[in-house]
Amino acid sequence: MSFIRQFLAILLLSLSGAVQRIGSVLTIIIGVACAVGVLVSMLAMGAGVMRQAMGNVRDDRVIMTSVGARNIQSSIPRDEAVAARDLPGIKKSTDAAPVVVFESMVPIEARRRVTGIRVFFPMVGTTAIFTQYRPEIHFTGGREFKPGLHEIIASNPCGRQFNGFDIGERRSLRGIDWTIVGRFDEGQSQQCKVYTDVETLMSAFNRNTYNMVSVMLQSPAEYDAFLKALQANPALHLEARHERDEVQQDLKPLKGILDFASYFVGTIMAIGATLGAVNCLYSIVDSRRREMGTLRAIGFGSAAITVSILCESLLFALPGALLGGALAWAFFNGLAASPFGFNFQLAVTPSLGLTGIFWALGMGVVGGLLPALRASRLPIVTAIRAA
Amino acid sequence: MRFLPLFWSGIWRKPGRTVLIFFQVSVAFALFGMLQGLKTGVDHAVAAARADLLIVHSRLNFFAASLPSGSIEQIKSAPGVRLVVPVDIFGAHYQEPTEGLGVVAIGLVKDWPLAFTYSIAPNYLAAFQKLRTGTLINDALAKKYGWKVGDRIPLMSNTAQVSGSTNWAFDIVGTFSDSDLGGGRYTILINLAYLDEARALGKGTVQHFNVAISDSKQAATVADEIDRRFANSPGETKTESLQELAQSQMQAIGDMNFLIRAIVAAALVALLFATATMMIQSVRERTLELAVLKTVGFTDRAVFLLILAEALLICIAAAALGLAVATAVLPLAARFVLGLTMPKIVLAMGLAFAVVVALISAAIPAALAGRLKVAAALAGG
Repeated sequence: MSFIRQFLAILLLSLSGAVQRIGSVLTIIIGVACAVGVLVSMLAMGAGVMRQAMGNVRDDRVIMTSVGARNIQSSIPRDEAVAARDLPGIKKSTDAAPVVVFESMVPIEARRRVTGIRVFFPMVGTTAIFTQYRPEIHFTGGREFKPGLHEIIASNPCGRQFNGFDIGERRSLRGIDWTIVGRFDEGQSQQCKVYTDVETLMSAFNRNTYNMVSVMLQSPAEYDAFLKALQANPALHLEARHERDEVQQDLKPLKGILDFASYFVGTIMAIGATLGAVNCLYSIVDSRRREMGTLRAIGFGSAAITVSILCESLLFALPGALLGGALAWAFFNGLAASPFGFNFQLAVTPSLGLTGIFWALGMGVVGGLLPALRASRLPIVTAIRAA
Repeated sequence: MRFLPLFWSGIWRKPGRTVLIFFQVSVAFALFGMLQGLKTGVDHAVAAARADLLIVHSRLNFFAASLPSGSIEQIKSAPGVRLVVPVDIFGAHYQEPTEGLGVVAIGLVKDWPLAFTYSIAPNYLAAFQKLRTGTLINDALAKKYGWKVGDRIPLMSNTAQVSGSTNWAFDIVGTFSDSDLGGGRYTILINLAYLDEARALGKGTVQHFNVAISDSKQAATVADEIDRRFANSPGETKTESLQELAQSQMQAIGDMNFLIRAIVAAALVALLFATATMMIQSVRERTLELAVLKTVGFTDRAVFLLILAEALLICIAAAALGLAVATAVLPLAARFVLGLTMPKIVLAMGLAFAVVVALISAAIPAALAGRLKVAAALAGG
């Protein structure tokens, strides 16, 4: 009991003196704020990538590729693709057709609006039923492509990032003029997506196999039955994955790099901030030697002193964390970035804010430890005599 | 010079504080050096990438698609083209599937090295031309596996031989080094004629052509002209200079520019606060000593400079340590950017920043110290 009373008394005393030591206190707060701000804004990249990619993911969508291959390496013969439509558990569209899309991808190029730098991304050939497979698509202009006519639709981020995606514009692929006939938004996605009719695309590019066959299930619960039927069918050499797993697999390396970079830079900044905090707390403790000595002399325990200094350190770190998180949010939340060709908006989420606070408390504890110990070990007599 | 002991003792008045602030400055500048070094290093590497070397590859897919070998004549006939070399590439591994390396098969036309970024000793080059199964290995590989000239290296690959076997063996005839950014870490060069004869599939096709042009300023024009020749054919091409390739490869880091600047700014602001507080604190504690100095005849100006010099020494020495650490660490990132080293300009920038930080943080305390009224200070003490 007396420990708590002593502890509170010292803490109050410390805080009431904080105004006189405003320089040191501000240094701690700003150091922590910068370290937390940097960590949070860098982690916001990884969070933005995931939010962006997972935003449109649905549990009832399943992606099939040929066994052992992914994306563009996968190759699914037409007969297998058609047979896959008869698997059980697949959702039926309004006109009783199974919601299954056959997709084939070819790389196309575009130039960035600002820099003029050439960028490659896939154009996806897909089946007419794709609007039911991807209900998140909303047309904002023009219309859907028509089979056989070499028509393309492009998402609005394409138009924002690249030249040549306005409705009516043409581009030459395989010596054929392809016309942009529609523009759409795909959920919240900032990624440029370009679709066309799969059969038209494959005949233009002399292809006979699809890259992917994707189905929408009646409900996510049908997945097991669907998978069992797929594996039991000897004619189908396909492997199926939840859309969620597919997307996560695709993003793993990027997320890994971003998070590593975040914690690497965040750690260096934190070391700097902690060193600064140690310095400031030492000078605070030094300037209060006489006070500490007096407290000890009138019977305050050294444990109470240690804990109260530690607590003071944490209390200075906390506003730093809040400030840093707020700055990160103000400067970086929603900022568009496209490292590694993946377009997303940085997302400063509450959980990142929490990470920042823990990070700051860590700096507070480590930074406060040595000064707190010194404060409690001051020899009383010399401390009282100190100038 | 005679003030040296004086200001040395000023610095070590509180060793703990000096050491802490020293390391704090070092850490900040190590971070600065790494981030700015990465950014500037990549910019330099892109600028240094050869603009006079073009790569003609399939428009469909850089790695997976191939072009007919016969395209070479049409490329040669484009104006401004100096030399065309057919190239095929495939992946192979040595003993374990994880020990991958890239195999570059080169059509050994006359003067072919002119169209590459490799440096090869003349005797190795001659041996390579002579032995059909010969291979040149890059220095990194030679070091990694301890391979020597004369060794025969067995490799496994997805590319099958006519016999159906997917095992290949090549005789090492020499080594080479590559100055290209995107050249790959572990590569070997082999004879395309031998590969084409021995492989089961893909005969008569190549993955790309290396083209040397006579005027690097004409790169875009020549590239467009080459692509025009293949437009609407099944073997549509896409021609890019090595510089353009490097640029798009390194685009990622270019996009991070704003973030890198923000981080560096945050680190320096935090540092500025820390050093300024430290200097103010230090001057305040030394009021008495500084007053004594003035009493014995030091001018205001001398005291001002004394404080400034202390801050400068700590900041510059600490920044130098930080930048040295960054210089040592940066080559580790060469896994992503081949041949990345610390650009001198970044070191100069870092030291300049250190001076700025020192001057700003010491300006107020040094002015305070300079203006110190002796009588008041001594009385107050």
